[in-house]
Amino acid sequence: MLVSDYINSRQRRVGRASIKRSLAALFALMIGLGGMMSVSSVHAEVPNAVPPKGDHQGEDVPQPIEFPHDIHADINGINCMYCHTYARRSKVAGIPPTSKCMGCHSVIATDKPRIQKLTEYWENKESPQWNKVHDVPDFVHFTHEKHLQRFVFNNEGMDVDNVSEVCAFCHGDVKKMTVAHKVKPLNMGFCVRCHEANEGPSDCWKCHK
Amino acid sequence: MSGNDINRRDFLKFMGLGGVGAATLTGCDMPTTVTLEEGKEKVVSYLAPEEYVIPGIGVWYASTCQQCPSGCSIHGRVREGRVLKVEGNPESSMNGTGLCQMAHAGLQGHYNPDRLSKPLVRKGDKLTEASWEEAWALVEEKLGARTAWLTGTISGHQAVLLDDLKKTLGSNKSYAYEAINNGVGEALNKAVLGEATPRYRFDKAQSVLSFGADFLGTWVSPVHFTKEYAQKFRTGERGVLMVVEPKMTMTGANADFWVPARPGTEGALALGIANVLLHKHQVDGRVLPKAALDVIAKYSLAKTTDVTGVRSEAIVKMANYLRNNSPSIILSGPSAHEHANGSQNAAAAMLLNILLGNVGKTIESSGEMPVKDIAARPASSKAIVDFVADVGRGDIDAVVITGTNPVFTAPKALGVEDKLSQVPFKVALSMFIDETSALADVVLPLASSYEDWGTSVAAYQPHDKVIGVQQPLMQPLYKETKGLGDVLLSLLKSKGVDGYAGFDDYYAYLRKAFSDMPASVKQGKSDKAFWSAALQSGLINVGAASGSIKAKAPKVQAVGYEANSDYPFHLVPSARQGLWDGRHANIPWMQEAPDQVSKVFWDSWAEIHPKTANALGVKEGDFIRIESDQGVIETQVYIFKGVHPDVVAVPMGQGHENYGRYATGVGVNPLKILSPTTDESTGELANHATRVRVAKTGAKAPFPRLGGSEQQAGRLLVGTVTADVFRKTEGGDHVA
Repeated sequence: MLVSDYINSRQRRVGRASIKRSLAALFALMIGLGGMMSVSSVHAEVPNAVPPKGDHQGEDVPQPIEFPHDIHADINGINCMYCHTYARRSKVAGIPPTSKCMGCHSVIATDKPRIQKLTEYWENKESPQWNKVHDVPDFVHFTHEKHLQRFVFNNEGMDVDNVSEVCAFCHGDVKKMTVAHKVKPLNMGFCVRCHEANEGPSDCWKCHK
Repeated sequence: MSGNDINRRDFLKFMGLGGVGAATLTGCDMPTTVTLEEGKEKVVSYLAPEEYVIPGIGVWYASTCQQCPSGCSIHGRVREGRVLKVEGNPESSMNGTGLCQMAHAGLQGHYNPDRLSKPLVRKGDKLTEASWEEAWALVEEKLGARTAWLTGTISGHQAVLLDDLKKTLGSNKSYAYEAINNGVGEALNKAVLGEATPRYRFDKAQSVLSFGADFLGTWVSPVHFTKEYAQKFRTGERGVLMVVEPKMTMTGANADFWVPARPGTEGALALGIANVLLHKHQVDGRVLPKAALDVIAKYSLAKTTDVTGVRSEAIVKMANYLRNNSPSIILSGPSAHEHANGSQNAAAAMLLNILLGNVGKTIESSGEMPVKDIAARPASSKAIVDFVADVGRGDIDAVVITGTNPVFTAPKALGVEDKLSQVPFKVALSMFIDETSALADVVLPLASSYEDWGTSVAAYQPHDKVIGVQQPLMQPLYKETKGLGDVLLSLLKSKGVDGYAGFDDYYAYLRKAFSDMPASVKQGKSDKAFWSAALQSGLINVGAASGSIKAKAPKVQAVGYEANSDYPFHLVPSARQGLWDGRHANIPWMQEAPDQVSKVFWDSWAEIHPKTANALGVKEGDFIRIESDQGVIETQVYIFKGVHPDVVAVPMGQGHENYGRYATGVGVNPLKILSPTTDESTGELANHATRVRVAKTGAKAPFPRLGGSEQQAGRLLVGTVTADVFRKTEGGDHVA
């Protein structure tokens, strides 16, 4: 998508004042991108999307195994959806089944204490009981599937390899974390502003059903 | 939302600030109120998931509802290994996509916190938790030739196993008892039509006259009848529904013409209507034997009015409707059947069917079940009378009780509790402790119907003959529960019965039983394909109903009425769609759901006519004392015109003394004060034959009733016009 198209489409959606603001933001972003091109941690752009704003200071949530997201997703470049395989099909992203972990770790890094702990679970036919980091109240119906459809699969120009940028809208830069931290507020204001900016549905019952 | 310390006042302050500032969503950004704390809940992944399992996405499996004996087919939505919702099975000719509220609420029985998870064994006065081995050793030891089986409705392969077990033990004693049953009707149908449960074709009928058969609420197969009735009678070509009953039921509330007759005189009313048809409408009486015509001749309008208390105009009107809207169906049900002369009432109603030529037109043969050993076995209330008599004779050393709670549902005067105490060894197979299982020596925890295998064959088969397949919708919630089929099979194996040693469990037995079904049923499918198809659809269609039906006119006798000055009122223990015979009183949704007619919830009530209320000097919510020769109950009154002035109607189902946290201590049980009368011809319990006297107690309390008023109070909730105005508009042919 061309920058002019982007601006045109934004013009249709928002008032003049915010067009100015978003233009400024866009230019700032482009300049920033240009400057950081050589840095490896550069974030790819998600086309046709206005990332939600808002931050949250998450607590440290201890986990039964200190799962290193950084080793998997960043250093080894594994796609988020390889393990969170249900995200594209279901309302929940799903914690990967233990069998999936063992698919690799019956041969990889078997000398590491964390893997040994995992193997112990597997041999006892148990799954680790993870502590939930990201959650919304029971009266909120959030679906991963619809969000991935909108921002990844039905999004022209979006490369599925960059899906972690879409995940990061709500989950932060998990690639740089070991166990997940909550860094976005995930409250209604956060959701609604993003829905407004991206022309998501605004009916109450879309989420509260 | 725990640990949330914002209160309403702070919330409003926040909202106020949001309103003043430019941002409009300030209230939605309060992190502690609308998000959850991190790390407080667990999330557990699958160890190794099945390929088709996707968390968050439900898969629907077919099964059969066991909430009442109608046998509706269901689809259950299963997600993450839990059944979350049931809906009607669209493939079912019985209920289609429809289900009643009891089916929908069944999950609250399954997930009920009062469910038994371990076997209980009596030690001294108390039932204490025991290992399955300990409980089972007692059961194996004590069951023998003098063992009785006191059950609810049992059908399908469980009934086959029970038959084999009885044969092995040398016991012929089994008692299938249901408080809500059609025993009198079935006996009469068998005698007159040759089959106990014919098909009723509401779709072919132009009018229906029901003497107390609440076919839209609790009678025989209500979901199916509702579906067929709604299609035929409430869309397009409209039929006429007439209902004669002492207390307005769901069916009565839907009637075009509702008539309260004196309880027990329904037969006289039917004969009076026959008289009008014969004499005023010149219906050909030659289809009836002379004896019947002679009895009918006695019921002139004056005499009928004298006996039934129904105005002569109403009798003529019903006869006119039947004559002008042919063919018709005449039904009779509990409030006509459950009297000393119940079979007479049923016979008189059937006589009308024969006179009007309905048999063969709207009442058809339902044909024979080709797989004979699993044919439907409807339960009756005579069973509990027989059980009590047999215990009294000292014929019974041990009893196995399952699917029934007679200590609660049988009239107290029968002395079921006392008789049970005379049986040396009692085993209850139950999901819950109830009034009956609390008396047992051993209680084995039963799996719920959503955890168990089974087959069931409904007594009423609307079109083709169908075997309902019940498959588990989820793994058992409690490891130590067992299904009835598995318990029966274990007993057969432990007694060393030939042919059962090879089956690991009831599932294995069912697989074999399905393989052994006749070729006509399997229709050329391989064993595996037949099994898969049965699980997929939840139904096995075993062939179209065929066969002809012919009526042999029943003998009828004169039906009279005797007033009782000591006990001037009739007690009607009506069936409440929702609580059924009381088995669903431990389901909070069923307590919470208001009664369809009175709108009372979480309690009992006595329905009385405004005239009666005036005479007693009571207002809605006042307590009255209802006294029979067997005892007293006290409850609040609901004043309603849909009750006969001589009737006090108290629905059954409430008044549990020991049925878990939701049911115990709620309301009163009218069955406790019933006289132990039986129908003279069939021996079925006559639960509507009790006479009572009623007095004001003076106590008052808030009345738990939804919708406080029967009046519109000028609010025009339902618009009305006078007949004159209506005639001048679309209702008449002479437009002004």
